[in-house]
Amino acid sequence: MTKTQEQTASFMVRFHQQIFEENGESKIQWRGKISHVQDGDEKRFSDFNDALTFMQQKLAELTEEATRYETSEKQESIIDKSLSMWKTIKNVGPKVLRDTLKDPKKQFTHFQDEIQDKINIFGEEISEKVQMNEWRNASRSDFNKIQNQIESLSTEIKNLSTKMDAIQKKS
Amino acid sequence: MSDLHQQLQELQTFQENATIRIETLGSFCVWRNQQKIEAKEWGRDKTVQLLQYFISNRQRNALHKEKIMDGLWEDWNDRDFKVALHGIHKALEPHRPSRTEPEYILRQGVSYQIDLEKVWVDVEALERYIIVGNEAFNHDNSVAKTAYKTAINLYKGAYLPNRVYEDWTSEEREKTQLLVLGAYITLAEILIDENPLESIRLAQKALAIDNTWEDAYRIQMQAYIVKGNRPQAIKTYMKCEVILEEEYGISPLPETKKLLKEIESIQ
Repeated sequence: MTKTQEQTASFMVRFHQQIFEENGESKIQWRGKISHVQDGDEKRFSDFNDALTFMQQKLAELTEEATRYETSEKQESIIDKSLSMWKTIKNVGPKVLRDTLKDPKKQFTHFQDEIQDKINIFGEEISEKVQMNEWRNASRSDFNKIQNQIESLSTEIKNLSTKMDAIQKKS
Repeated sequence: MSDLHQQLQELQTFQENATIRIETLGSFCVWRNQQKIEAKEWGRDKTVQLLQYFISNRQRNALHKEKIMDGLWEDWNDRDFKVALHGIHKALEPHRPSRTEPEYILRQGVSYQIDLEKVWVDVEALERYIIVGNEAFNHDNSVAKTAYKTAINLYKGAYLPNRVYEDWTSEEREKTQLLVLGAYITLAEILIDENPLESIRLAQKALAIDNTWEDAYRIQMQAYIVKGNRPQAIKTYMKCEVILEEEYGISPLPETKKLLKEIESIQ
Protein backbone atom coordinates (compact mmCIF):
# COMPACT_ATOMS: atom_id res chain seq x y z
CA MET A 1 0.00 0.00 0.00
CA THR A 2 1.24 3.49 -0.78
CA LYS A 3 1.95 5.57 2.31
CA THR A 4 -0.29 8.59 3.03
CA GLN A 5 2.87 10.70 2.96
CA GLU A 6 3.47 9.67 -0.65
CA GLN A 7 -0.13 10.60 -1.57
CA THR A 8 0.05 14.05 -0.02
CA ALA A 9 1.26 17.36 -1.39
CA SER A 10 1.31 20.46 0.82
CA PHE A 11 1.78 23.98 -0.45
CA MET A 12 2.66 27.17 1.37
CA VAL A 13 1.52 30.30 -0.45
CA ARG A 14 2.72 33.77 0.47
CA PHE A 15 1.04 36.90 -0.87
CA HIS A 16 2.66 40.28 -0.51
CA GLN A 17 0.67 43.33 -1.52
CA GLN A 18 2.07 46.55 -2.92
CA ILE A 19 -0.27 49.53 -3.02
CA PHE A 20 1.02 52.52 -4.95
CA GLU A 21 0.10 55.59 -6.97
CA GLU A 22 0.93 55.73 -10.66
CA ASN A 23 -0.13 58.46 -13.07
CA GLY A 24 -2.52 59.80 -10.43
CA GLU A 25 -4.22 56.44 -10.06
CA SER A 26 -4.17 54.08 -7.07
CA LYS A 27 -2.92 50.63 -7.96
CA ILE A 28 -2.35 47.36 -6.20
CA GLN A 29 0.07 44.63 -7.14
CA TRP A 30 0.22 41.16 -5.64
CA ARG A 31 3.53 39.36 -5.44
CA GLY A 32 3.51 35.79 -4.32
CA LYS A 33 5.62 32.78 -3.59
CA ILE A 34 4.43 29.22 -3.54
CA SER A 35 6.47 26.42 -1.99
CA HIS A 36 5.94 22.70 -2.31
CA VAL A 37 6.67 21.44 1.20
CA GLN A 38 7.62 17.84 0.35
CA ASP A 39 10.40 18.66 -2.13
CA GLY A 40 11.17 22.26 -1.18
CA ASP A 41 10.68 23.66 -4.71
CA GLU A 42 9.53 27.26 -4.91
CA LYS A 43 8.03 29.50 -7.55
CA ARG A 44 7.39 33.22 -7.45
CA PHE A 45 4.41 34.70 -9.22
CA SER A 46 2.65 37.95 -9.93
CA ASP A 47 -0.11 36.10 -11.80
CA PHE A 48 -1.98 33.53 -9.68
CA ASN A 49 -2.32 31.25 -12.73
CA ASP A 50 1.42 30.57 -12.44
CA ALA A 51 0.89 29.35 -8.88
CA LEU A 52 -1.92 27.07 -10.04
CA THR A 53 0.27 25.71 -12.84
CA PHE A 54 3.02 25.01 -10.28
CA MET A 55 0.56 23.11 -8.06
CA GLN A 56 -0.78 21.23 -11.05
CA GLN A 57 2.73 20.12 -12.05
CA LYS A 58 3.53 18.90 -8.55
CA LEU A 59 0.26 16.98 -8.28
CA ALA A 60 0.74 15.45 -11.72
CA GLU A 61 4.19 14.24 -10.59
CA LEU A 62 2.55 12.70 -7.52
CA THR A 63 -0.07 10.90 -9.63
CA GLU A 64 2.60 9.77 -12.08
CA GLU A 65 4.70 8.35 -9.24
CA ALA A 66 1.72 6.58 -7.65
CA THR A 67 0.70 4.97 -10.96
CA ARG A 68 4.14 4.07 -12.30
CA TYR A 69 3.44 0.30 -12.09
CA GLU A 70 0.13 0.60 -13.97
CA THR A 71 -0.16 0.03 -17.72
CA SER A 72 0.63 3.14 -19.72
CA GLU A 73 -3.04 3.39 -20.88
CA LYS A 74 -4.35 3.28 -17.33
CA GLN A 75 -1.71 5.73 -16.11
CA GLU A 76 -2.56 8.14 -18.93
CA SER A 77 -6.27 7.88 -18.17
CA ILE A 78 -5.76 8.63 -14.44
CA ILE A 79 -3.49 11.58 -15.19
CA ASP A 80 -6.03 12.92 -17.71
CA LYS A 81 -8.78 12.72 -15.09
CA SER A 82 -6.56 14.49 -12.60
CA LEU A 83 -5.83 17.26 -15.12
CA SER A 84 -9.49 17.74 -16.04
CA MET A 85 -10.23 18.53 -12.38
CA TRP A 86 -7.51 21.17 -12.58
CA LYS A 87 -8.98 22.80 -15.67
CA THR A 88 -12.08 23.62 -13.62
CA ILE A 89 -10.04 24.96 -10.71
CA LYS A 90 -7.83 26.98 -13.06
CA ASN A 91 -10.86 28.60 -14.66
CA VAL A 92 -12.71 29.31 -11.47
CA GLY A 93 -9.75 29.80 -9.06
CA PRO A 94 -8.50 33.29 -10.05
CA LYS A 95 -12.05 34.68 -10.17
CA VAL A 96 -12.86 33.24 -6.75
CA LEU A 97 -9.59 34.61 -5.39
CA ARG A 98 -10.26 38.06 -6.87
CA ASP A 99 -13.74 38.18 -5.38
CA THR A 100 -12.50 36.91 -2.04
CA LEU A 101 -9.76 39.51 -1.87
CA LYS A 102 -12.23 42.24 -2.87
CA ASP A 103 -14.87 41.34 -0.34
CA PRO A 104 -14.03 38.27 1.77
CA LYS A 105 -17.17 38.47 3.90
CA LYS A 106 -19.51 38.69 0.92
CA GLN A 107 -17.73 35.87 -0.90
CA PHE A 108 -17.86 33.67 2.20
CA THR A 109 -21.59 34.29 2.58
CA HIS A 110 -22.03 33.53 -1.11
CA PHE A 111 -20.25 30.17 -0.71
CA GLN A 112 -22.33 29.35 2.34
CA ASP A 113 -25.57 30.14 0.50
CA GLU A 114 -24.55 28.09 -2.54
CA ILE A 115 -23.63 25.09 -0.41
CA GLN A 116 -26.77 25.40 1.72
CA ASP A 117 -28.99 25.60 -1.39
CA LYS A 118 -27.45 22.48 -2.84
CA ILE A 119 -27.70 20.60 0.46
CA ASN A 120 -31.38 21.55 0.73
CA ILE A 121 -32.18 20.50 -2.84
CA PHE A 122 -30.31 17.21 -2.68
CA GLY A 123 -31.59 16.53 0.82
CA GLU A 124 -35.22 16.91 -0.26
CA GLU A 125 -34.74 14.79 -3.38
CA ILE A 126 -33.03 11.99 -1.52
CA SER A 127 -35.50 11.95 1.37
CA GLU A 128 -38.45 11.91 -1.05
CA LYS A 129 -37.27 9.36 -3.55
CA VAL A 130 -34.74 7.05 -1.96
CA GLN A 131 -36.20 5.23 1.05
CA MET A 132 -33.85 3.05 3.02
CA ASN A 133 -36.33 0.15 3.37
CA GLU A 134 -36.61 -0.12 -0.41
CA TRP A 135 -32.88 -0.77 -0.60
CA ARG A 136 -33.22 -4.09 1.19
CA ASN A 137 -34.92 -5.70 -1.80
CA ALA A 138 -33.33 -3.78 -4.60
CA SER A 139 -34.85 -4.57 -8.00
CA ARG A 140 -34.25 -3.35 -11.54
CA SER A 141 -36.81 -0.58 -11.01
CA ASP A 142 -34.91 0.55 -7.90
CA PHE A 143 -31.77 0.80 -9.95
CA ASN A 144 -33.72 2.83 -12.51
CA LYS A 145 -34.82 5.15 -9.74
CA ILE A 146 -31.22 5.56 -8.60
CA GLN A 147 -30.21 6.27 -12.15
CA ASN A 148 -32.85 9.01 -12.30
CA GLN A 149 -31.52 10.46 -9.08
CA ILE A 150 -28.01 10.53 -10.48
CA GLU A 151 -29.27 12.19 -13.65
CA SER A 152 -31.07 14.82 -11.63
CA LEU A 153 -27.90 15.44 -9.59
CA SER A 154 -25.93 15.77 -12.84
CA THR A 155 -28.43 18.37 -14.09
CA GLU A 156 -28.00 20.33 -10.88
CA ILE A 157 -24.24 20.27 -11.26
CA LYS A 158 -24.53 21.39 -14.90
CA ASN A 159 -26.77 24.28 -13.81
CA LEU A 160 -24.22 25.27 -11.22
CA SER A 161 -21.43 25.19 -13.84
CA THR A 162 -23.52 27.36 -16.19
CA LYS A 163 -24.08 29.80 -13.35
CA MET A 164 -20.35 29.91 -12.63
CA ASP A 165 -19.60 30.53 -16.34
CA ALA A 166 -22.13 33.37 -16.39
CA ILE A 167 -20.51 34.93 -13.30
CA GLN A 168 -17.14 34.56 -14.97
CA LYS A 169 -18.32 36.25 -18.18
CA LYS A 170 -19.75 39.15 -16.19
CA SER A 171 -16.38 39.72 -14.54
CA MET B 1 10.92 52.58 34.08
CA SER B 2 8.49 52.26 31.18
CA ASP B 3 6.21 49.28 30.94
CA LEU B 4 7.83 48.21 27.66
CA HIS B 5 11.28 48.48 29.16
CA GLN B 6 10.14 46.26 32.01
CA GLN B 7 8.69 43.72 29.57
CA LEU B 8 12.02 43.68 27.78
CA GLN B 9 13.85 43.01 31.03
CA GLU B 10 11.45 40.22 31.99
CA LEU B 11 12.01 38.54 28.64
CA GLN B 12 15.77 38.76 29.09
CA THR B 13 15.61 37.41 32.65
CA PHE B 14 13.47 34.47 31.54
CA GLN B 15 15.93 33.73 28.72
CA GLU B 16 18.85 33.65 31.18
CA ASN B 17 17.18 31.74 34.01
CA ALA B 18 14.78 29.23 32.47
CA THR B 19 15.56 25.66 33.50
CA ILE B 20 14.63 24.35 30.07
CA ARG B 21 15.69 26.32 27.01
CA ILE B 22 14.96 25.17 23.48
CA GLU B 23 16.58 26.44 20.30
CA THR B 24 14.79 25.71 17.04
CA LEU B 25 16.18 28.38 14.73
CA GLY B 26 19.07 27.25 12.55
CA SER B 27 19.35 23.97 14.47
CA PHE B 28 17.54 22.10 17.22
CA CYS B 29 19.04 22.02 20.67
CA VAL B 30 17.62 21.65 24.18
CA TRP B 31 19.35 22.87 27.34
CA ARG B 32 18.50 21.57 30.81
CA ASN B 33 20.01 23.59 33.68
CA GLN B 34 22.42 25.23 31.19
CA GLN B 35 23.57 21.81 29.96
CA LYS B 36 22.91 20.56 26.47
CA ILE B 37 20.77 17.42 26.29
CA GLU B 38 22.75 15.01 24.11
CA ALA B 39 21.16 13.14 21.20
CA LYS B 40 21.42 9.75 22.92
CA GLU B 41 19.28 10.98 25.85
CA TRP B 42 16.30 11.35 23.51
CA GLY B 43 16.38 7.72 22.47
CA ARG B 44 14.32 7.59 19.32
CA ASP B 45 13.71 10.35 16.79
CA LYS B 46 9.94 10.25 17.36
CA THR B 47 10.50 11.64 20.87
CA VAL B 48 12.28 14.65 19.41
CA GLN B 49 9.58 15.01 16.75
CA LEU B 50 6.85 14.98 19.38
CA LEU B 51 8.55 17.77 21.33
CA GLN B 52 8.98 19.74 18.10
CA TYR B 53 5.30 19.16 17.31
CA PHE B 54 4.35 20.61 20.71
CA ILE B 55 6.53 23.64 19.96
CA SER B 56 5.04 24.11 16.48
CA ASN B 57 1.55 24.08 17.99
CA ARG B 58 2.39 25.87 21.22
CA GLN B 59 0.05 28.82 20.67
CA ARG B 60 -3.01 26.67 20.11
CA ASN B 61 -5.06 25.18 22.87
CA ALA B 62 -3.94 21.86 24.26
CA LEU B 63 -3.84 19.30 21.45
CA HIS B 64 -5.88 16.13 21.55
CA LYS B 65 -3.74 12.99 21.60
CA GLU B 66 -5.34 11.66 18.42
CA LYS B 67 -4.67 14.85 16.51
CA ILE B 68 -1.03 14.69 17.55
CA MET B 69 -0.76 11.05 16.48
CA ASP B 70 -2.42 11.80 13.13
CA GLY B 71 0.15 14.51 12.53
CA LEU B 72 3.18 12.41 13.39
CA TRP B 73 2.54 8.74 12.74
CA GLU B 74 1.64 6.94 9.57
CA ASP B 75 -0.05 4.07 11.46
CA TRP B 76 -0.31 4.95 15.09
CA ASN B 77 -1.24 3.30 18.30
CA ASP B 78 -1.39 4.49 21.87
CA ARG B 79 1.84 2.80 22.78
CA ASP B 80 3.91 4.79 20.24
CA PHE B 81 2.57 8.00 21.71
CA LYS B 82 3.18 6.94 25.31
CA VAL B 83 6.75 5.88 24.56
CA ALA B 84 7.55 9.18 22.82
CA LEU B 85 5.92 11.25 25.58
CA HIS B 86 7.74 9.29 28.26
CA GLY B 87 10.98 9.99 26.32
CA ILE B 88 10.33 13.75 26.55
CA HIS B 89 9.58 13.62 30.29
CA LYS B 90 12.70 11.56 30.88
CA ALA B 91 14.93 13.93 28.94
CA LEU B 92 13.50 17.11 30.47
CA GLU B 93 13.05 15.82 34.04
CA PRO B 94 15.34 12.83 34.54
CA HIS B 95 15.04 13.01 38.34
CA ARG B 96 11.28 13.51 38.64
CA PRO B 97 9.90 11.27 41.41
CA SER B 98 7.44 8.68 40.13
CA ARG B 99 3.71 9.43 40.50
CA THR B 100 4.29 13.17 40.30
CA GLU B 101 2.92 15.34 37.51
CA PRO B 102 5.36 16.30 34.74
CA GLU B 103 6.31 19.95 34.91
CA TYR B 104 6.93 21.02 31.33
CA ILE B 105 4.33 19.19 29.24
CA LEU B 106 0.89 19.95 30.61
CA ARG B 107 -1.90 17.39 30.37
CA GLN B 108 -5.62 18.09 30.47
CA GLY B 109 -7.43 14.77 30.10
CA VAL B 110 -6.14 13.45 26.79
CA SER B 111 -4.87 16.80 25.53
CA TYR B 112 -1.32 18.05 25.84
CA GLN B 113 0.67 21.26 25.48
CA ILE B 114 4.05 22.69 26.32
CA ASP B 115 4.16 25.05 29.32
CA LEU B 116 5.48 28.32 27.93
CA GLU B 117 5.63 29.85 31.41
CA LYS B 118 8.39 27.40 32.30
CA VAL B 119 10.02 26.48 29.02
CA TRP B 120 11.94 29.12 27.08
CA VAL B 121 11.67 28.61 23.33
CA ASP B 122 13.60 30.83 20.90
CA VAL B 123 10.76 31.23 18.34
CA GLU B 124 8.37 32.27 21.08
CA ALA B 125 10.90 34.72 22.54
CA LEU B 126 11.62 36.12 19.07
CA GLU B 127 7.95 36.89 18.54
CA ARG B 128 7.59 38.49 21.97
CA TYR B 129 10.65 40.71 21.41
CA ILE B 130 9.20 41.82 18.08
CA ILE B 131 5.87 42.62 19.74
CA VAL B 132 7.71 44.83 22.26
CA GLY B 133 9.69 46.40 19.40
CA ASN B 134 6.54 47.16 17.41
CA GLU B 135 4.81 48.65 20.44
CA ALA B 136 7.83 50.81 21.29
CA PHE B 137 8.44 51.89 17.67
CA ASN B 138 8.05 55.68 17.33
CA HIS B 139 7.39 56.18 21.10
CA ASP B 140 10.63 54.84 22.48
CA ASN B 141 13.05 53.94 19.73
CA SER B 142 15.76 52.98 22.18
CA VAL B 143 13.57 50.13 23.52
CA ALA B 144 12.46 49.31 19.96
CA LYS B 145 16.07 49.02 18.79
CA THR B 146 17.05 46.72 21.67
CA ALA B 147 13.97 44.56 21.16
CA TYR B 148 14.49 44.21 17.39
CA LYS B 149 18.22 43.57 17.80
CA THR B 150 17.62 40.83 20.38
CA ALA B 151 14.98 39.24 18.17
CA ILE B 152 17.32 39.34 15.16
CA ASN B 153 20.14 37.77 17.20
CA LEU B 154 17.83 34.88 18.05
CA TYR B 155 17.25 34.18 14.36
CA LYS B 156 20.13 31.84 13.57
CA GLY B 157 18.41 30.32 10.56
CA ALA B 158 15.16 28.74 9.42
CA TYR B 159 12.83 27.07 11.93
CA LEU B 160 13.71 23.37 12.41
CA PRO B 161 15.80 23.15 9.23
CA ASN B 162 16.09 19.37 9.48
CA ARG B 163 12.27 19.10 9.23
CA VAL B 164 11.67 21.24 6.15
CA TYR B 165 9.87 18.39 4.41
CA GLU B 166 7.37 17.91 7.27
CA ASP B 167 4.26 19.98 6.62
CA TRP B 168 3.50 20.52 10.33
CA THR B 169 6.61 22.73 10.55
CA SER B 170 5.83 24.94 7.51
CA GLU B 171 3.47 27.38 9.18
CA GLU B 172 5.89 28.25 11.96
CA ARG B 173 8.81 28.54 9.51
CA GLU B 174 6.89 30.93 7.28
CA LYS B 175 5.59 32.99 10.20
CA THR B 176 9.01 33.38 11.80
CA GLN B 177 10.64 34.24 8.50
CA LEU B 178 8.14 37.04 7.88
CA LEU B 179 8.52 38.32 11.45
CA VAL B 180 12.27 38.52 11.16
CA LEU B 181 12.09 40.08 7.67
CA GLY B 182 9.90 42.81 9.17
CA ALA B 183 12.34 43.28 12.07
CA TYR B 184 15.35 43.61 9.70
CA ILE B 185 13.53 46.21 7.60
CA THR B 186 12.16 48.27 10.50
CA LEU B 187 15.47 48.32 12.36
CA ALA B 188 17.34 49.15 9.15
CA GLU B 189 14.96 52.09 8.61
CA ILE B 190 15.43 53.37 12.17
CA LEU B 191 19.21 53.27 11.73
CA ILE B 192 19.57 54.85 8.26
CA ASP B 193 20.90 58.23 9.45
CA GLU B 194 22.50 57.06 12.67
CA ASN B 195 24.33 54.03 11.32
CA PRO B 196 23.94 53.59 7.54
CA LEU B 197 26.45 50.75 7.39
CA GLU B 198 24.37 48.72 9.82
CA SER B 199 21.24 49.54 7.77
CA ILE B 200 22.95 48.19 4.66
CA ARG B 201 23.95 45.02 6.52
CA LEU B 202 20.45 44.46 7.91
CA ALA B 203 18.86 45.01 4.50
CA GLN B 204 21.37 42.52 3.10
CA LYS B 205 20.27 39.98 5.72
CA ALA B 206 16.64 40.52 4.64
CA LEU B 207 17.64 39.99 1.01
CA ALA B 208 19.43 36.78 1.95
CA ILE B 209 16.05 35.47 3.12
CA ASP B 210 14.08 36.91 0.21
CA ASN B 211 16.00 38.55 -2.63
CA THR B 212 12.82 40.10 -4.06
CA TRP B 213 12.04 42.17 -0.91
CA GLU B 214 11.94 45.60 -2.60
CA ASP B 215 11.88 47.63 0.64
CA ALA B 216 15.33 46.25 1.44
CA TYR B 217 16.76 47.55 -1.86
CA ARG B 218 15.28 51.01 -1.20
CA ILE B 219 16.78 51.12 2.29
CA GLN B 220 20.18 50.13 0.90
CA MET B 221 19.95 52.86 -1.75
CA GLN B 222 19.10 55.48 0.91
CA ALA B 223 21.84 54.25 3.25
CA TYR B 224 24.45 54.38 0.45
CA ILE B 225 23.44 57.98 -0.23
CA VAL B 226 23.85 58.87 3.46
CA LYS B 227 27.31 57.29 3.17
CA GLY B 228 27.94 59.40 0.08
CA ASN B 229 28.28 56.37 -2.17
CA ARG B 230 26.11 57.33 -5.16
CA PRO B 231 27.47 54.66 -7.59
CA GLN B 232 26.67 51.88 -5.13
CA ALA B 233 23.14 53.26 -4.61
CA ILE B 234 22.55 53.16 -8.40
CA LYS B 235 24.07 49.68 -8.60
CA THR B 236 21.62 48.52 -5.90
CA TYR B 237 18.70 49.79 -7.99
CA MET B 238 20.01 47.90 -11.05
CA LYS B 239 20.24 44.71 -9.03
CA CYS B 240 16.68 45.17 -7.77
CA GLU B 241 15.46 45.70 -11.33
CA VAL B 242 17.20 42.53 -12.59
CA ILE B 243 15.92 40.35 -9.73
CA LEU B 244 12.30 41.54 -10.04
CA GLU B 245 12.40 40.94 -13.78
CA GLU B 246 13.87 37.47 -13.33
CA GLU B 247 11.57 36.36 -10.53
CA TYR B 248 8.25 38.05 -11.36
CA GLY B 249 8.66 39.62 -14.79
CA ILE B 250 7.83 43.05 -13.33
CA SER B 251 9.69 46.34 -12.87
CA PRO B 252 10.35 48.13 -9.54
CA LEU B 253 7.61 50.18 -7.90
CA PRO B 254 7.20 53.89 -8.78
CA GLU B 255 8.54 54.72 -5.27
CA THR B 256 11.81 52.92 -6.04
CA LYS B 257 12.06 54.50 -9.50
CA LYS B 258 11.46 57.92 -7.95
CA LEU B 259 14.26 57.30 -5.46
CA LEU B 260 16.59 56.42 -8.35
CA LYS B 261 15.72 59.70 -10.09
CA GLU B 262 16.48 61.63 -6.91
CA ILE B 263 19.80 59.84 -6.59
CA GLU B 264 20.67 60.48 -10.24
CA SER B 265 19.91 64.18 -9.82
CA ILE B 266 22.41 64.51 -6.95
CA GLN B 267 25.46 66.38 -8.21
